[in-house]
Amino acid sequence: MEFAIELKGISKSFGPVAANKNINLSLAKGEILALLGENGSGKTTLMNMLSGIYMPDSGSIFIDGKKVEINSPEDSSKLGIGMVHQHFKLVEKFTALENIRIGIRNEGRLVHGADVRKKIEDTAAKFGFEIDLDKKVANMAVSEKQTLEILKVLCYGAKIIILDEPTAVLTVQEIDRLFAVLRKMREDGHSIIIITHKLNEVMAISDRVAILRHGEYISTVVTKETDEKTLTELMVGRKISLNIDRPIMEKTHPLLEIRDLTVKNDEGAVAIDHINFYIRGGEMLGVAGIAGSGQKELCEAIAGLRKIEEGQMIHEGESIVGMSPKKILEHGISMSFIPEDRLGMGLAPSLSITDNMILKNYNEAKGIFVDRKSARAEAQKVIDRLEVITPSTETPVRRLSGGNVQKVLLGREIKSGPNVLVTAYPVRGLDINSSYTIYNILNEEKKKGVGILFVGEDLDVMLELCDKIMVICHGRLQGVVNSDHTTKEEIGLMMTGTINIVNKEGKTDGIAKDSAFTDEEGKA
Amino acid sequence: MLDVFTLFLFNIIVYNIPLLYGTTGEIMIEKSGSLNLGVEGTMAIGAVVGYLAGAKTDSLLVACLVSFIASGLVGALFSFLTVTLQANQNVTGLTITTFGVAFYYFIGNALSNSAGGWPKLNGTAFDMQSQPIHIPFISDIPFVGKALFSHGILVYVGILIAVLMWFYFNKTVPGLKLRAIGENPAAADSLGVNVTLYKYTHIIIGSGIMGLGGLYMGLNLGGAFEGSNCWINGYGWISIALVIFANWSPAKALLGTLIFGFFNTLRVQNAALAYAFPDALGWLTKIPSHFFSALPFIITLIVLIISSLTSKGRSGEPQAIGRNYYREDR
Amino acid sequence: MRKYHLVRRADAQFKRTLIYYAIGILVSLTIGAVILAALGINPFEYYGRMFSIGLIGNRYGYKSIEGLLKIFVPLLITSLALSLSFKMRFWNIGGEGEFLIGAIAASIVAFNCSGLPNFVTVLLMCLAAMISSGIIGIAVAALKVKFNTNETLMTLMLNYIMLYVIRYLGETKAEWNFFLEEESERPIFGTFPETAFMGGIPIGPFKLLWSVIFAVLLTVIVYVYLKYTKQGYEISVVGDSSATAKYAGMSVGKIVLRTMFISSALIGLAAAFTVSAAGTISDTITNDVGWTGIIVAWLSKLSIPAVFVTAVLISILQYGCQAAATQYPAIDINYADLLQGLILFSVLVADFAANFRIVRKEDAKNA
Repeated sequence: MEFAIELKGISKSFGPVAANKNINLSLAKGEILALLGENGSGKTTLMNMLSGIYMPDSGSIFIDGKKVEINSPEDSSKLGIGMVHQHFKLVEKFTALENIRIGIRNEGRLVHGADVRKKIEDTAAKFGFEIDLDKKVANMAVSEKQTLEILKVLCYGAKIIILDEPTAVLTVQEIDRLFAVLRKMREDGHSIIIITHKLNEVMAISDRVAILRHGEYISTVVTKETDEKTLTELMVGRKISLNIDRPIMEKTHPLLEIRDLTVKNDEGAVAIDHINFYIRGGEMLGVAGIAGSGQKELCEAIAGLRKIEEGQMIHEGESIVGMSPKKILEHGISMSFIPEDRLGMGLAPSLSITDNMILKNYNEAKGIFVDRKSARAEAQKVIDRLEVITPSTETPVRRLSGGNVQKVLLGREIKSGPNVLVTAYPVRGLDINSSYTIYNILNEEKKKGVGILFVGEDLDVMLELCDKIMVICHGRLQGVVNSDHTTKEEIGLMMTGTINIVNKEGKTDGIAKDSAFTDEEGKA
Repeated sequence: MLDVFTLFLFNIIVYNIPLLYGTTGEIMIEKSGSLNLGVEGTMAIGAVVGYLAGAKTDSLLVACLVSFIASGLVGALFSFLTVTLQANQNVTGLTITTFGVAFYYFIGNALSNSAGGWPKLNGTAFDMQSQPIHIPFISDIPFVGKALFSHGILVYVGILIAVLMWFYFNKTVPGLKLRAIGENPAAADSLGVNVTLYKYTHIIIGSGIMGLGGLYMGLNLGGAFEGSNCWINGYGWISIALVIFANWSPAKALLGTLIFGFFNTLRVQNAALAYAFPDALGWLTKIPSHFFSALPFIITLIVLIISSLTSKGRSGEPQAIGRNYYREDR
Repeated sequence: MRKYHLVRRADAQFKRTLIYYAIGILVSLTIGAVILAALGINPFEYYGRMFSIGLIGNRYGYKSIEGLLKIFVPLLITSLALSLSFKMRFWNIGGEGEFLIGAIAASIVAFNCSGLPNFVTVLLMCLAAMISSGIIGIAVAALKVKFNTNETLMTLMLNYIMLYVIRYLGETKAEWNFFLEEESERPIFGTFPETAFMGGIPIGPFKLLWSVIFAVLLTVIVYVYLKYTKQGYEISVVGDSSATAKYAGMSVGKIVLRTMFISSALIGLAAAFTVSAAGTISDTITNDVGWTGIIVAWLSKLSIPAVFVTAVLISILQYGCQAAATQYPAIDINYADLLQGLILFSVLVADFAANFRIVRKEDAKNA
């Protein structure tokens, strides 16, 4: 087999976190390779090293059999690699033609000079794109923007094309059209890497599948010789025992009930689609799903930070729909979300640990002054209890390492004594010891009778830590399973949308028997 | 009777072309995503340095070149501080204005108090108004010819710069890349555009253009240095306002210069007009001249507010303006 | 290929920053000295005169102090006010315009309330100035919050509109125009009645104005406000991350409006103090504090104690230049502005050097 790309022993770390460990991967000429892996398995990092955004710490890259170094996006483009990023890199005010024109080399100095338009139109026609070159990006639908991104790399003469989750934003018909284009590109001799989580798509489009797990290369299989079940197993791996405690508590009444909730994301697409679930006191409910399945929007909706389109949210018998974030906090619902950059939400990075402790309750102090004395005491308590490593309580949060930042955040969330704790990715990027500290903190809260919603990434952890796991896929509920009566494979298949067990076997998933909703409300 | 009008039109152009230089220079800088509030200072430095070089050599060309280079260096300083060192653009720009205007007065005072005194211009090579370029036939058209087509060379250079810049932004690939940087530097960077190089070059060229405008102002005032009145006299600030009024388009900057210039001239000549046409224009003297002076800023404030109320899509304001770009921030 | 790479220092040490700043200031003073030397002036003698602000060997030394304070008080208060809005990342560069509005409002009171006792008149002047400047601040903030109108450009336009308003008042002879001297044929601004003058504590021939005492007090108040009160806390959270502020349940719009009101009102207060101390108004009454205040706030990195120190230094620079001009007629007040610019440029470089370091690519990998 002749290879377009060969990666040998590629490793890349960000601080203490290894994103890619000794990865070997090859892309044959004229094939479509699917890159499969859970969120955080290092797919995007690996591809960004091909597109010149990151440089590997060690290992070598071979293009067409020759060893190369890729130091910038320009290098990458000169080697014939084109990447379609998940977040489009387009100038909104420009037309399609202008966006493409920026990167075209050796075609004179005039925008409309030479036969640029003709060339672009030819390329578009060749691969069957329908695109209005004079339309401004700002007026384009998502699928049009993506078409433009793909056309862009083709016009730059890329022979190797990488697509990072191209189907995530498309409708079924649009996906079919995209796949038709990809097949045409393959016929034309292009080599393609496509990152996707959806197994049915992997089966439909790819020639081979490469699997990454936790930053490591697992294997590459030929698509024809495999099936969805095998792929899921390879992707999630065998169950590893982690020995995380799960105290079994007397479960109380439903504290938070969500009924028929629909929420839109920033782009206006439906992110959470008619979801039902509830959390009881003394219970930890896991939320499993591929990245971007609506987790962020769900958390923000509960915290009052995002408008909901439809549905109801009841906390201890009272509707919290339309309440301000402040009111919801006062009700006893606390939400903490660790975004990918880890600092974006919930903390003021330039402020000290002390100041961040009182972010949500500084107003409770009497008089006009902030009560720093008790804040400092609280900060010290959190530092001691959660073993935060810091020079002092007055150190700006920005200066702490990732794990310590998260401990500060979680420490603040639990100190106010909420009865519902929503926590998303609390161990994101943490080393093992810090992670266990966090699990212990959550279990302590659970023992106090707090209901916890744990949005997580690692299925092994969730299976051991959570009492029940709710699985979502593209904002839709795929089912709620009891951690003791399920398998990692089952959850994996639900995450990828292969199976859906909602309302199967006579259950009505996500609706409590002793619901605080009256029947009329439930029906409405 | 026609003379009043002819002179009026003539003055609109001859006294307000520096606005066009300031505005087109600032548009070039802002299109690269940088907001430079140092126009007034940059023009002042270009004016005084260029003037001195001109007085020394008796050559308008040398004066222009030196003025362009001096202001270009100020632009280089702005680029170094904001692009390389990531300093705050507002503060850097304002300091350039403080520094530049102080530099102007300082040099002027120091030379005026020195033995040789403030250097005077020799001959008429620099007199913008008495050395018009005669364009056959067109300049001879009665009324319009004198008003619009018999000016000094720097008037035409200014207009030419605006036209060329419009062409550059809208028709050429480097212009396209520049606009892409002003809108979304990360996107431009990902396509292999050298963001730092583009910012430096365009900030320097834009500043150089401002310098020419400053030089023009000095020459138009006969090059006399007055201890309390800067040649630039707020034209740098009006230029910043005009950029907004012109919606970041060099072509509209030309139009805007004429409109702002109209009010400016009305302020100076309202008495003459009212005297010539007491019945029709007598009311002009009732409007205080300050109103005309403030008008560019009032109009711009209104334009600014209205454009923020309406859709953002049609505004020419570069989306990334005022924010420094640092690749690793993405 | 980029061989070198900039890395943000993890630990921005206070001591190192201070040393770099000192080097920066020294470099700019050296450049200033070269300029002086080029003009045939001994820089040491000049600097000596400048920094001693004409105190040495002067029988009327207290006059120097009074002159210095006249520059210092408005500059200090304006810089404090601007620091408040900058801390919130609100680019209020309308200090000049807000100052002028305050000055006009205070003068209206001064010219029309001649019957009232001194204390009441001055108090009314301050209130009028604070309210009118504050309202303009709120208007700008409201447009920013509601429509995201660019506040830098808005406040910039305001400065010039107000400049022409005051020039209009100062140059228009009319029945209604109580701002002008009635006796004078040529339009000039009138002098306030005695009751509108700022009082003070006489110390020998020197009079320590109440405004000076209050300005120092205000520094403490603003320091405490920013550092210890809930509202000050809100300002720092909004400035650091408005997303976090929203998440914490703060109403960001309200905080921005309130802070801009306080900031502009304080500038109005500075204006009332200034006209009351001068006993009159003029179109150069601002003495450029709206611009210089931005430089002071920035040089101080928005730290209130540093604002106080920097305002003292810049005032010495400016007044020292005026004082030295009697001896060196070739060097005028613009030399102070020149030095000021040089200092800011070199401090910006120093600040960068204190926060970043340059490493080679290979080292960056190993680090």
